This record gives sequence, structure tokens and C-alpha cells, in this order.
Amino acid sequence: MSMSLGSAVMDRMAAKLQKYNFVKKINWGRAVVAGIPTFWLGLFFFVPFLVVFKISLTEAAIAIPPYSELLEWDLEEAYISIKINLGNYLFLFEDDFYLDAYLSSVKIAVLSTFFTLLVAFPIAYAIAKSDGSTRVLLLALVILPFWTSFLLRVYAWMEFLKKNGIVNEFLLTIGVIDEPLIMLQTDFAVYIGIVYTYLPFMVLPLYSALEKMDGTLLEAAQDLGSKPTQSFFLVTLPLAMPGVIAGCVLVFIPAVGEFVIPALLGGADTLMIGRVLWDEFFLNRDWPMASAVAIVMLVVLVLPIMLIRNSQGKGEAV
Amino acid sequence: MHHKKLGLAAALTLTLTAPMTMAKDTVVNIYNWSDYIDPAILEKFETQTGIKINYDVYDSNEVLEAKLMSGSTGYDVVMPTGSFLERQALAGVYAEIDRSQLKNIGNLDAEMASKVALHDAGNKHNVPYTWGTIGLGYNVDMVKARLGDVPVNSWDLVFDPEIAAKLSDCGVSVLDSPAEVVSVALNYLGLDPNSEKKSDLKKASKLISASRSSFTKFSSSQYISDLANGELCVSMGYNGDVLQSQSRAIEADQGINISYIIPKEGSLVWFDLMAIPADAPHKEAAHKFIDFILQPENAAGVSNYAFYAVPNNKVEPYLLEEVKNDPSIYPTDDIKEKLFTQKAHSVKFDRLLTRAWTNIKTARN
Amino acid sequence: MSFSEQIVPSPTSAEQLPLWKQEGAEPFLRIENVTKNFGEFKAVDNISLDIYKKELFCLLGGSGSGKSTLLRMLAGFETPTSGRILIDGVDMAGIQPWERPVNMMFQSYALFPHLSVADNVAFGLKREGVAKAEIKKRVAEMLDMVQLGHLGKRKPHQLSGGQRQRVALARALIKRPKLLLLDEPLGALDKKLREETQFELINIQEELGVTFVVVTHDQEEAMTLATRIGVMNQGIIVQTDEPHDVYEYPNSKFVADFIGSVNMFEGKVIQDEPDSVQIDSKEAGTTLFVNHGISCSPDQVVNVAIRPEKIRISKKEPEKGVNCIQGIIEEIAYMGSLSVFRVRLASGKEVRVTQPNFTRSMGDRFTWNDAVFLHWDEDSSVVLTS
Repeated sequence: MSMSLGSAVMDRMAAKLQKYNFVKKINWGRAVVAGIPTFWLGLFFFVPFLVVFKISLTEAAIAIPPYSELLEWDLEEAYISIKINLGNYLFLFEDDFYLDAYLSSVKIAVLSTFFTLLVAFPIAYAIAKSDGSTRVLLLALVILPFWTSFLLRVYAWMEFLKKNGIVNEFLLTIGVIDEPLIMLQTDFAVYIGIVYTYLPFMVLPLYSALEKMDGTLLEAAQDLGSKPTQSFFLVTLPLAMPGVIAGCVLVFIPAVGEFVIPALLGGADTLMIGRVLWDEFFLNRDWPMASAVAIVMLVVLVLPIMLIRNSQGKGEAV
Repeated sequence: MHHKKLGLAAALTLTLTAPMTMAKDTVVNIYNWSDYIDPAILEKFETQTGIKINYDVYDSNEVLEAKLMSGSTGYDVVMPTGSFLERQALAGVYAEIDRSQLKNIGNLDAEMASKVALHDAGNKHNVPYTWGTIGLGYNVDMVKARLGDVPVNSWDLVFDPEIAAKLSDCGVSVLDSPAEVVSVALNYLGLDPNSEKKSDLKKASKLISASRSSFTKFSSSQYISDLANGELCVSMGYNGDVLQSQSRAIEADQGINISYIIPKEGSLVWFDLMAIPADAPHKEAAHKFIDFILQPENAAGVSNYAFYAVPNNKVEPYLLEEVKNDPSIYPTDDIKEKLFTQKAHSVKFDRLLTRAWTNIKTARN
Repeated sequence: MSFSEQIVPSPTSAEQLPLWKQEGAEPFLRIENVTKNFGEFKAVDNISLDIYKKELFCLLGGSGSGKSTLLRMLAGFETPTSGRILIDGVDMAGIQPWERPVNMMFQSYALFPHLSVADNVAFGLKREGVAKAEIKKRVAEMLDMVQLGHLGKRKPHQLSGGQRQRVALARALIKRPKLLLLDEPLGALDKKLREETQFELINIQEELGVTFVVVTHDQEEAMTLATRIGVMNQGIIVQTDEPHDVYEYPNSKFVADFIGSVNMFEGKVIQDEPDSVQIDSKEAGTTLFVNHGISCSPDQVVNVAIRPEKIRISKKEPEKGVNCIQGIIEEIAYMGSLSVFRVRLASGKEVRVTQPNFTRSMGDRFTWNDAVFLHWDEDSSVVLTS
């Protein structure tokens, strides 16, 4: 009797011990899982951000590197001086040129994000509704362009859109137009470039949202009297919303700061903040000003996205 | 990146052995513009000296400058344009050239060297590599069809709004290079091309803006292929680039005939210079390379290949006939007199210039 | 298995027969020679069926029997390959799901996850363009009816299974459809909840006077709910009858076997009178008497079906010697309200017998390997010719 009691106690202790170990293991694992992205973000986002922020508070100078020192010290004389220059930021707000550039970038980014959404939605929908092997094939096709260089693909668009390019030749041949259309070096070409380049970033999150959707919900909507178009706006779209938001963020952010596409496809009059940044850096050789432009762009971008994330979080909590 | 690593490794060996004897460099890292030298010349240098060349290329002064200004590039010889070297030298980017190591320095064209000295007093930090002009490349037939038999010899083609408007439908391109274009415009207006006066900048902006609606493109390299395939009829450009476009058009054999002129009002002459970064790991080899290029037969390898002039007194016998006799490469003396250099600007003026330029391009006011 | 809870529809006046028994009554839903093919596969094979107003008709069948396909054709999600469907006299051909006077309660409930309970219920009314105040009122009423008045603001994922089922029902009923289709309405609920909900469903159906067509694979559910049951197998309706008749008078081996449990004795007809038959069964080891006539050819092999609860078990030989067979108890299962015996006959045939436990000691009267007599009345068994 006492023997069996003793062994029961032992068993229980062993169980407890095991449980303890198990819990400990999970915590450790969790620390690693959370730690890696934190470390990554810290190293590759936060540290560079601080460096750029530091430069934005200095003054341009003819030196290597071409800006003034923020901190000067002399240990023997116990002398430290911090020289912070807010002039760059003040200048940003004084001169409406920068505001214009930001607004124009945001406008182009918003419109191209919207067009990307319009193009991506039917694609994502078709993929989500297709079965098995077709689906795998279609997804592979969406990702396929990434296998060639981005620059190469933009150059390909130049060949398509230029005055004696493929599109114009085709339209002239079938007699739709009499004179070649001017498409390259216009905003139209910039939109095409951005929509084309970022399409996969929109299709994939949309697909994953739509793929999860229960098809009987649409039947239920029809059954309750809504026509297919109504069902789309009342059921499909709201349920695809997480994908829509994720896709829009993924397209909008790089589109705002886009430099290569407007530089190659856009006209000289396409004013975008990426171009302004380039000019500040390379033409004016004003690294501090360029840094200030970059910092403000980050804030302009990060704030709305944090707001969106916040509202999403609330939506789920209710 | 590749070069940087090599350079660092070599620098280490150098410091370790330096106290004993003068090191014998076995490599030299060269960072040059793309398509700017006959590869055979590089091979020749390697076999003659036993020094291995690591050759890397860039396609804009801005890229070169960004690298130099960030410090320690590992390059031994770089080829900045004059106005860029001017400012970079002030920042302490370059080592002084040791002329005692250059046996062939006497071959240098003194007249041209004196113009370069405007950028670099006493030419302490450079040896000129090539020189060239900015002018107009044009499609002979397309321009004739629109302007008739008027001689094509003036900046009026782009700066006279009425004439530019007539050409707009076949494509007019302007260099996307504010300092150079504004200099040319100031010179056209009879003003000092290196003026930093706000009022002068305003006048130049006004001039360029007046024809803005006729400009179909602002481009610093795209015009080469556009001229060649008939998408442009007039383009402001660098002489060598326009000639490259011309030979492409001849190769394509589509009946497109490209020509280059230096307008009668005068134009800008620019220099690409050989310079040695202050932290270059193989300075001795760098000097050897520069000296090698100063040899006339090697200088000719640059000129014959890239269609740019080289400032070398003894190069003539080695030049190809079509290069030697082409006034767009080696202009006549009366044209040469009207050429001016464009000095580096102050940071403050650069800012004004960039802004004015953006306003011109985006048609903002 | 017992169906003591079975609800027998009670006619409002004694002499009034249910509609389906009245000669010449107009059906509310008429299914005419409807066939549905999916490629080579005949999901529904030439079905004709009339369903009357205020009926609660159950389509009962296993998976792949075609019952869901038939229901989906009523809703308009599938188009019949041939045949006609008339609802209230109107041919449904070419009428889209959103135009039909029909609503459906889905097996998975298909509640809109992004809408609150109240918005889910209001969905159908909003599509009709009903005034806002009216919508609010009717949603409140409907939620009260399904006892969810207090949960209108919740999202579906915050509800229990039973609550979701009631939201789905409320949503389907709010448009006051003439016909409500229910696909396995109780399938996702646990047993206890299912029993409670069965009665709620019947109450609501009677209160609103809507015609229900229910699809289920659960015979108990069908028995409890239905006014009539259509038993489906391989795309056809095998038998259409009131629950009681389906149980007591199955028309085929399939139905007898599918509904409840049954003992089947194969045999040959040796005497065929207009109102009785005698069947010689080697399996039973005796001649079986059945007091209803059948139409069959002489010497035809038929099956005599007898429900386990209709067989009496005793140790002593019963006085009346008809339909009496002998065997040995192989297994006894005490189920609380009843005991189940498995008795092996001399022929090797196993017979299942259930006996209510009238007294506490009932189970003790029999034990394993007891030799027992099994017997039943002549009107307890059914002869199945197919």
C-alpha cells in the first residue's frame, strides 16, 4: 500500500517536472521566434534609420563624408558639443515644392494601387476558384516574372510603348490609329509600369483571402435575394478585405518611393519624391537634405499604415 | 565590391611590407566610364608591366562621386569629369600626382592642360584623359524637311521657341544635366557661362522654359539609341555619344543620317581626368597606368575607340584618318576658341540650379 | 430503437384528411420528371413528387442519394437536365435563385462572418428594399422568436453552434418565404441540443405555416420532424409516406433496412390468399404467416421483415403456435429503457429482439445460452417483394 502510494507521488512529480520542462522549452522557443525578426528589424531597419536621421540633422559640407559632425568632443578638456541643424526640416516645410512632390507621389501611388487592385482582383479570384493543378500553374505564372530582372522587364515595357514600338505598330497595322500614340514618357506609362511590377504583391494576398472564403456564402447571399454583382460587393469584397488591405499596403509603400519606373517610363514632368531625393543626393550633393526628405517620407508612409493596422486590430477584437 | 575586397587585401600587404623595401604593386584597380578604352590597350599594359588590371565601369559622375564621398573605395585610378574633380579635390578625395613618376608627361597638350587647370590649380590632382564638347546631334533629313535649306549651325534649333516648335513633332531632346545646359544657355545669351548670379539663372531658366513645350525628352544617354532609330530629330548631346549614334544608324542601314555640330555661339568643353584617390592602395601602379596612357600609341587606343579627343601632342600619327579629320572630334581652331569650361558651383547655387531645373522639367513655376 | 416521441400530425377537425390524402388537392410544390446529370452520373433520376402547403417534408437518404441535388434544384443553384419544378403553380425554369419565393438554411449555416447577427438576419430584407424601421422591427421580432433577441450585435464566431443554427433559421425565415429548404438543419448540433431544436423547428413551422422541405441522412430526425418522408436511394425516391407508414410498412428491403433495424427472413410463398400469405422460410426454420395479401407469382422468393421490438421472447413455448421460432441467446445488451437480445436460430440466422424493461428485474430473467422461443403476431410482419 505505502509502496504504491510512494510511486504515485513519484509519478506525479515526474509529470510536473515534465510539464515544467515543456513550458520552459516553449518560452525559449518563443523568445527565439520573436527575437529573430526583432533583431532583423533592429539591424536592418532601425539602425540605418538612426544613421539617416542623424545625417538629416547635420549640414552639408565639402568633406568626406560630405556633412558636418553632429558630435564633437575632446576628452582631455571634458568638452562635448552637439550641433543639431533643424534647417533641413524647416526648409522642407517652407518650400511648397516638397509638399507638391509628396502629394504628387502619393497621388500616383494611390491611383496605381487602385489600378493594381482592379487588375489583380479578377486574377486572384480566378486562381482561387480554379482547381488543383491549374491553381498551382496559375500561381507559378503570377510569380514567374520575378525570375527575370526587374530592370529588364521595365526596359521591355519601353520597347512595347515607344513611338515605333510593338503596341503602336500593332494598332497601326490593324488600322485603329493613323498616327503612333505617345505612350512612353507619360504618366500613363508610369501607371502601367507600377501596376505591372507590383501586380504579384496584390494578387497573392488577395488570393489567400479569397481562397479561404466559403463558396456557400455566395449562394446564401443569392438565396436571400442579392444578384451576383450585389453579392460581390456585400460578401466577397468585405471578406477579401484583409487581403485587399495587405495588398494595397504592399503596393502603395514601394510605389510612393518609386524611382526607377518614373525615371525610365515617365516623362520629365513626372514629379515624384524618389526623383527629388535623387536630385538632393546627387545633383545638390546635399546628403543632410536628402536624409530629411527620406525621413519625412517614412513618417508620411508609416503613419497611415500604423493607423490602418490599428483599425484592423480593433476590428478583430470586437 | 569585388574590387573593394581585393584593394583591402592588397592594402594590408602594402602596409606590412612598406618599412622594408618599396613595394612592387602587382595589381591596379581602375574605375572608368563604360566603353571608354580599347580592351587591347589594357591587355598590352598587363603584358608590358606584369601588373594585373581589375577593371570596373560606371556610367555617371554621380555614381562615382557617391562612392568616393563615402570613403575607401579601393580604386587606384578613376576618371571624373573636371567640374566634379574640382569639388572632390576640395573635399580631400584625391592624392597629389607625383609627376616624377610620369616619364611621358611632356606629351600632354599644354593648351588643353591650362584649361583643365581652371578646375584644379596647377593640375596637382589630375592628368587629363579625354576631352569633348556638347553640341547638337541631328537627323539631317528630318531637320531639312522641317526647316528647309537653313544652315544648321546654331543653338537656335533648341533655344528659339519658334524653330524648336517646328521640330517638336519629330522629337527634341535636351541633356538632363542642369549645370551644363544652363551654362550653354547663359553663353547663348551672351552672359558668363559660370555666373552664379540669381538674375542670370533666372534669364537662362526663362530661355529654356520658353521652348520647354517643344522638348519631348530630357535624357543624358537614351538619346543615343533614339537618334539612331529615328525617334528624335535633334538632341543636345556629347560629341562622342552622337558619333556612336551615327555609327549605329549606319550599321542599321535604315537610311537614317545623323550629324553633329558645335553651334557657332560656342559651347562647353569638358574634360575627363585621370586621378588617384587619396586612399588608393596601389599608387605606384596607378602612376604606371597613367604614364602608360600618356604614351601616344596608347592614347590613340582611347581616341580611336571612344571617338573622343585626347590631349596628347604626339598622338596624331597613331589616329585613324576618320577620327583625326572629324571636326566633331578634333574641332578646328576657330571653333576651339569659342569653347568654355564649366566650373563647379557652390552648394548654395547647386540647390538653386536643381530647383530651377526641376521647375523647368515639370513646367512648374 | 423507439420512436415514442414521434409527432403525428393532428388534423384540425376529425374528418379532415391531410392534403396529400385528399383526392385532387393542389400541390404547392410539384416536381415533374426531374433528372439531373453530372456528366455520366445521374444524380437525380426522373423524380416526380408533390408536396403540399404547410407540409414538413423530409428527403431522407444516404450520401450520394441525390437528396441534396434535388434541394439545390429547388433553390435554383442547379438547373434540372430535364423535367419541371413548379412552386405555387409557377414554373421555376429560368428563374434565378434571388428571384425565387424560396429560402434555404444551409448545412454549414453559411452565416456572413463579417456581419452581426442582426445584420445577417436583416440581409434578405435589405435586398428587398424594405424600409429601415420596418426592417428593424421585423429583425427584432424574428430574433425574439428564435430566442436570440439579446445577441443581435454579436458576430457569428462569438455564438455557440445552437445559436448559429437559430440565426440561420431566422435569416432564412425573415423574408417569409413560401417554401423553406433546410439542408441537414440539425446535423451540426450535439444530440441533446438536436432533440430540443427539433421541437422548436416544428413549432415555428406550425406557427408560420411555411412549407418546409428538409434534407437529412438521419432517420430519427426525419421521423420526428416530418409530415411525410421521401426515402431516396441512387437518385430515385423509393418510398413516399408518413413516418409511421414508412416504418411499419416499408415497401422494399432498402427502406426496411434503412429505417430502423429489421430482421429479414428469406422464403418462398407457399400459399397466397387475397388477405394472407404463408411463406416457407428455411432461415426461420418454419412457415411464417402474414395477414396481408401481396401480389406475387407462385414460388417467388420474398422477404418477411419483422422489427425487433415486435418480437416477443419467452422461455416457455407460447400457446399460439404461429410465427414461433426457437433459438439460443448469444448476447444481451442492457440499454436502460430496453434490452437487446441476439438470438441464434438453428439455421445459423441471427435475430435481433428488443424488449422494454417493464420491471427492474426484467433483464435478469434471461441469460446467455438460454434456449428461448421467439414469436410475433401475424400482423406485425411485412412481406417485401423487392
